[in-house]
Amino acid sequence: MTATKVVPMPAGATPPASARATPEKPRRRTGIGERMMPYLLLLPALVAVLVLLGWPTIQMLGISLRKLDLHELVTGKAVWIGFDNYTEELTDPEFWSVAVRTVVFTALLVAATLLVALVIAVLMRHLNPVVRIILQISLVLAWAVPVIATTTVFQWIFDQQYGILNKTLDRLGFHSFIGYSWFSTGASTLAVIGLLVLWQAVPFVAFTLYAGLLGVPREQYEAAGIDGAGPWQTFRAVSWPAIRPILTMVTFLSVLWDFNMFGQVWAIRQGGPDGASTTLAILQYLKGIAGSHFGSAAAIATIMLVLLLLVTGRYVQLLVRSKDGELA
Amino acid sequence: MRKSLTQRVTLSVVGVLVALLFFFPTYWMFTTSLKTPGEVLSPKYDLFPTSATLANFASALTKPGFVTYLSNSLIVTLGAVLAALVVGVLAAIPLARFRFKGRKGFLLLILVAQLAPLSALFIPMYLLMRDLGLLNTLPSLLLVYFATSLPFTVWMLYGFINGIPYDLEEAAMIDGCSRAGAFRRVTLPLLGPGLVTTSVFSFITAWNEFLFALVFMQDKPKQTLPVWLSSFKTAFSVDWGGIMAASVVYAIPALIFFLIVQRKLVSGLTAGAVKG
Amino acid sequence: MKRWLKLAAGAAALTLATAGCAGSGGGDTATGSGGSDGGTLTVWLMDGSAPDSLTGALNKEFEAAHAGVKVNYQIQPWNGIQQKLTTALASDTPPDVIEVGNTQTPAFASDEVLTDLSADVNSFNGSQWLTGLKASGEFEGKTYGVPFYAANREVLYRKDMFEQAGITAPPTSDAEWLDDIAKLKAKFGSDKDFQALYLPGQYWYTLLSFIWDNGGDVAKAEGKGFKSTLDSAGSKAGLEFYKQLVDASGTTAPKDNDEATPQQAGIYGGGKVAMFIGTPGEVATAAKTDPSIADKTGAFPIPSKTAGQTAPVFLGGSNLVIPLNSKHADLAKEYLKLLTSTKYMSQMAAAGYVPGTSTDTSALDKDPLGGVMAKASKNGRAVPTSPKWGEVESGQNPLKDMLTAYLTGKKSIDQATADANAALDKIIGG
Repeated sequence: MTATKVVPMPAGATPPASARATPEKPRRRTGIGERMMPYLLLLPALVAVLVLLGWPTIQMLGISLRKLDLHELVTGKAVWIGFDNYTEELTDPEFWSVAVRTVVFTALLVAATLLVALVIAVLMRHLNPVVRIILQISLVLAWAVPVIATTTVFQWIFDQQYGILNKTLDRLGFHSFIGYSWFSTGASTLAVIGLLVLWQAVPFVAFTLYAGLLGVPREQYEAAGIDGAGPWQTFRAVSWPAIRPILTMVTFLSVLWDFNMFGQVWAIRQGGPDGASTTLAILQYLKGIAGSHFGSAAAIATIMLVLLLLVTGRYVQLLVRSKDGELA
Repeated sequence: MRKSLTQRVTLSVVGVLVALLFFFPTYWMFTTSLKTPGEVLSPKYDLFPTSATLANFASALTKPGFVTYLSNSLIVTLGAVLAALVVGVLAAIPLARFRFKGRKGFLLLILVAQLAPLSALFIPMYLLMRDLGLLNTLPSLLLVYFATSLPFTVWMLYGFINGIPYDLEEAAMIDGCSRAGAFRRVTLPLLGPGLVTTSVFSFITAWNEFLFALVFMQDKPKQTLPVWLSSFKTAFSVDWGGIMAASVVYAIPALIFFLIVQRKLVSGLTAGAVKG
Repeated sequence: MKRWLKLAAGAAALTLATAGCAGSGGGDTATGSGGSDGGTLTVWLMDGSAPDSLTGALNKEFEAAHAGVKVNYQIQPWNGIQQKLTTALASDTPPDVIEVGNTQTPAFASDEVLTDLSADVNSFNGSQWLTGLKASGEFEGKTYGVPFYAANREVLYRKDMFEQAGITAPPTSDAEWLDDIAKLKAKFGSDKDFQALYLPGQYWYTLLSFIWDNGGDVAKAEGKGFKSTLDSAGSKAGLEFYKQLVDASGTTAPKDNDEATPQQAGIYGGGKVAMFIGTPGEVATAAKTDPSIADKTGAFPIPSKTAGQTAPVFLGGSNLVIPLNSKHADLAKEYLKLLTSTKYMSQMAAAGYVPGTSTDTSALDKDPLGGVMAKASKNGRAVPTSPKWGEVESGQNPLKDMLTAYLTGKKSIDQATADANAALDKIIGG
């Protein structure tokens, strides 16, 4: 894979054994069974994805071209209205400001998540076992706590009158925080939501990266150590190539989740104050689901899908191509 | 790899600080669950609890149906995780280790499948389950959770298998192992951490899911824990202490699950170290 | 290797079996097989509405009167109820009787997914229906929803504090109310945690009272739709009085949240609040914090600017409906007939609600707090019966944003009301 080639080796360092798959020689054995095997192995997943995700998605695309309110849903009538649902959204200036806000929020949140998680993953590798287990337990707790509970707890911590944060700040001498509202502007509301999401998302990403780091055979580090590479050089030469594919993967996943995230944003302020923390997922709920206008909901969801494809398209392309190239 | 004493101490201090930061909301949830309604909304400074009551736990656990909801949740969640892991490993192997026609297309499919906004899919999914005659049955939820975590599982496992040098497997094959044997003995143990993070992730996602559980299951005895949790909030009153106590109870199975797989993670690591 | 293949084949077969179902299942849904449960009447009521003792007796009586019929009674949680009802209505075997919030009912009625009950009004005690709820169940001249119960707000106050502050009788006008707040503050104001009136900034149900009392309204019917009137002089006067109360009361309640977060009854239970605006049921919540507070609590209707009158109140409550797809509409009507009878309605009254289909509130009047509520309910009003009103409440309520913007000084009263008016028109207008 390209990553391995791009990363410069410190002079004199032993190049790490390639963490990538060495090309499978297709010539070696080409019996019918051998040729059919990949497909047989893929079949269950393929069928499941097509039936349980593909089919509903196609239906969603169909619904986006229909007027599907409660009446049509219950009676099973199909009222085709062409692209009306789309033009209604795309000509609404509010839609575009929400779209921009969603993209910016997602970008900042993903960057923060990855940075914090990466630092923690590397930290875990270097900690002594006792501290590492303490850290891991607190991460797992953060991860295992149900979203509804976390959200409630955060609301409480940030409550203007009874929140422990304002009370603590007051005690520390910042008396202006008595009765301070953390939700008075869209930006600060989104910042609190961001913290909440960070707290929930970092454990998974950190553990994934940590698992990736552990997948690197120990002797590669030892080799780098013997060759006198410093910690930064070792990280760049050994750790980075090993976790890069995983890092790109979690970046991609984080983008998807943060972009589509609904529950946390909704729970904190329902997209308020005055709509200033409304993201596309919230807009989809408000305009579509809340009033049972499933056609509009599907149209917004489709636009979100297209936006996501635009944002991640280059990445998807690269990913599929490079993964393929690496086996070629 | 050698570190000086000050380096090690600094690292430990940083580690503990980060741990505290991530621990705090959980701690806050726990102490809140030990508070009486009056203490929850008290202007007093209460970073450390001055008294504790177990009344919230008692009222949470004696709420009717807890055991039923718990077992329903366990069935659909564990079922979905297991199914996704089996099907996921099966699909990840050829993706990572074979070259065949349609591989690229499948990868694309798996990637794009994850883009689907689930909140917009609940109507089509509902119609699908209705037409399959599965509404109001646990398999409908199991299938949805399985399907939603499958692309992710395949993708992650594919990445993890890819990250494990194929040379090791080849070496084993030269030593006389079959392809399957080589995979099982060399790659599978090294895959341990990957399986763990992936399964914990799908577990927690399924464990927390609310909307589909609410909408698909019309009869009370078939509902799951997230729906139970929301019953602490009625139109006119919210039992905050109860919610927090219930959340603590609710988080426990997820923790147990993690502890079980954690052991696997460790054994997977040691196996990897020995083989590597 | 062989074991692998077996496993793979097995998994594939399993998935194929499922897929096979998908292929064949789609076709035969039209025929449906709803008839198999012929004798079961499914009833959905909301969490916390009818007490178990009532439904237990009701279902028993109904089953006894209809041999072979079983009542499948389910209590639904409020969280996510919109989606749950929507999908349930679209299923092959929807519930037969559903409780629907009164502000949600017009949406369901206008979408023609409910059974027309116009011909049965009389058998449901139609002459005694609660006026404020009745309109929410009607759409274009037809009746789809039967009033079930309602609750409205009143001022709940600490009798002991009033006495200590030298207030002998509850206020009967806005002016007196403000006077009493001043007296309470003079007496207890040295305690920095004391609040004469707890009033969160986004308590829009209370705002409705003030708007109506000042002659304003949220919107007026215009043609087939509605036109917002939040920028009318009356509406502005109501908003201004709200601010006057907030400023005078010294409330530390958040200006950017409603009465549920944090829960106002819990704060009242803390003992540092002399008054709050709520339903009698909330006193029970406060009593969880301090059991002795129930006996110290009295109630008076929300005062009016006109001495001697009381302000109109928002009636919150529920209707009972029968889905159009119900397989047992006739049985469902029988069930409604029984539930709307005076016998069960008086049990609703005893449970602390204003009954929907009976003017007999004697069971409610026994409780002093309930009596005040029952009396005020006669002056009860509703939000516009727009099918889209549900979206106002379930989404970003322009009235809440208006309150926060004006109370925090972010917007002038003209700006705040104009913006809210435009936002509301975007939802319910036209």
